[in-house]
Amino acid sequence: MEVENNFGPVDIAISGLRAQGKQIEIISSNVANARTTNAGNGEPYRRLEATFKSDSDTGGVKLDKILTDTSEFLKVLDPGHPLADENGYVAMPNVNLPVEMMNLTIATRVYQANTAVLKRYQQMVETTLELLR
Amino acid sequence: MVNMNANVSGIQNTMKGILEQKSVQPGNNSGNSSLPKIGSLDHKSADFGDAVKAINNYISKVDDLQTSSDMSIKDLLSGKNEDITSVVSAVAKADLSFKLLVGVRNKLIEAYKQTMNMQV
Repeated sequence: MEVENNFGPVDIAISGLRAQGKQIEIISSNVANARTTNAGNGEPYRRLEATFKSDSDTGGVKLDKILTDTSEFLKVLDPGHPLADENGYVAMPNVNLPVEMMNLTIATRVYQANTAVLKRYQQMVETTLELLR
Repeated sequence: MVNMNANVSGIQNTMKGILEQKSVQPGNNSGNSSLPKIGSLDHKSADFGDAVKAINNYISKVDDLQTSSDMSIKDLLSGKNEDITSVVSAVAKADLSFKLLVGVRNKLIEAYKQTMNMQV
């Protein structure tokens, strides 16, 4: 057995950590831009969604694409707003903060699960090495 | 990984030789040819030196991992690299392989000491 093969679980757990780190980064971008009426193209900010794919070489996970959520913008009645249309509605980003908080909790839990796997694997290797003594 | 098989097969061959010696009946001592010769058994390069040589190769691999873990920590502290997961990965790998190396080394030294203390 090659030495590198012993590190398979380490690499996979680390890839999970990286992927969830990216997911948390995207969630933080969504939360920060929850009230952004101009995302640079004249439209309000569109919420981003990360998709992942499995890495067939290592068995780990990697970021596939960062897609934009194409659902409708939120219409808020605010006639005094400088960006309000003729009916007094302002288009706000399609970011739903409770949903983002739920996704953040999921991403945090998956991150913790990956660290748990890494930690447990290290313990397993140490237990195996105890047999040498 | 270090090839421990060389040692194990050597021990197995020796054990086989001892067992066969015991199974020889006392009245059947007509000639030396009936006694099993340990040297005649097909054991290939089962000496201690090979295990020590094999570990040399592994030491350099472990050293590479240690160096890369050191470098990644330095890069993180100097701000060159901000990816903490790569540091965790490098340190975990260096830690695991070093523990294995220490375990194998202790076992080899123990085997050497046991051999040296053997009554002849």
